[in-house]
Amino acid sequence: MPHDHHDEDAHSLLPSEPALRVKALETILVQKGLIDPAAVDAIIDRYEHHIGPQIGAGLIARAWSDPAFKAQLVNNTDGILSDLGFGGRQGEHIVVVENTPDCHNLVVCTLCSCYPWPVLGVPPAWYKSDAYRSRAVREPRQVLAEFGVIIPPEQKIRVWDSTAEIRYLVLPMQPAQSLGLDESELALWVNRNAMIGTGLPQPPAET
Amino acid sequence: MTNSKMKPHHDMGGDQAGPITPDRPDDPIFAKPWHKRVLGLTVAGGAMGAWSIDTSRFWRESLPKTDYQSFTYYEKWLAALTNLFVAKGFVTRDEIINGLPSGPKQPLHDAALDADRVLAMLAAGAKASRPEVTKPLFQKGQKVRTCLPDATKLQMPGHTRLPHYAAGKIGVILFYHGYHVLPNSNAHFLGECPEPLYSVEFSSADLWPDGRAGDVVIVDCWQSYLEPLT
Repeated sequence: MPHDHHDEDAHSLLPSEPALRVKALETILVQKGLIDPAAVDAIIDRYEHHIGPQIGAGLIARAWSDPAFKAQLVNNTDGILSDLGFGGRQGEHIVVVENTPDCHNLVVCTLCSCYPWPVLGVPPAWYKSDAYRSRAVREPRQVLAEFGVIIPPEQKIRVWDSTAEIRYLVLPMQPAQSLGLDESELALWVNRNAMIGTGLPQPPAET
Repeated sequence: MTNSKMKPHHDMGGDQAGPITPDRPDDPIFAKPWHKRVLGLTVAGGAMGAWSIDTSRFWRESLPKTDYQSFTYYEKWLAALTNLFVAKGFVTRDEIINGLPSGPKQPLHDAALDADRVLAMLAAGAKASRPEVTKPLFQKGQKVRTCLPDATKLQMPGHTRLPHYAAGKIGVILFYHGYHVLPNSNAHFLGECPEPLYSVEFSSADLWPDGRAGDVVIVDCWQSYLEPLT
């Protein structure tokens, strides 16, 4: 098993510098016909340029604007995401959890780094860090304070540890100042962290 | 902490740790160019269908503790991917040592992901849900007790998605998600063995000596992780 002879693990035979390590492995895989480098390029392009938190922000803005859509997003999440073309890898089973004046939701994966990729893109470095994975379940209020979010004592916190293939997306409360804005304006208020629970919706930065 | 001597290094929920460094809005999605190659290789390698996401997770968490703790995130992915390609017989250790394949360039393998299939593969994903076999044992609102992690493992060193901090604790069934593939067996190619999957809610005060009354933690648990509370 992998633990038994770690001096001999195949990965330890690769070059020590990470960039060279990747290049060495990719060279072998491509030469052996196991990997199409154009497929790797296409995957990177999707996550670098197409799939990101703007997708989730659009969904939240629409939910704020349209109660019927919100009901669908909460109650038939996978169905509506599939209809809109936002389902797929690492988001096959999404559950939307709604913040209320009584309850704030926070998402973590203590065992690895599970995250709703099709609606938020690839997770940020802090989400995958040992510090966040260790602390979010035990001291969520202190963790949130490090993100500048203070949760009042009367608002309870629900921390969702993503241990299965269920992915959690936080539906934040709409700020009062944003009431009456149209969907495209509202989407600018929804930042990525607000959909993980480590942030709150904010007015868009002045440009 | 329950059974802390047995706690594997990846199972870190509740551990003491330093401050968190939030990113800035203009930070790049990939901090280094090689990070994105690792992501692309891992996704494309997985799409060959020779192993599941459960197997990938098992191989990442099975990295030696010193490597797991010193490697950056994408280094862990790269190391586990390398070891999987070797363990499954696609690549030899000599090829890794030499940095070269042992023979001439090969045409694309039948199972390899070609570029034309990328969009459809990402959009389809791979559902973990499976048809319901029998009615779930537990109902919403029912109190349950979680097993100890080793009791949920099918073989050593095993693979379980029950974190130590939530082991041997009393919680309440919040949702039933239908049947899902069981990682404990699927990670080891022992079959999907689908089971009812539940979201189980625990009071923070029951999990941690300093837990705050009213706050809760929700953990997704397969049915075999749970015992009825009698």
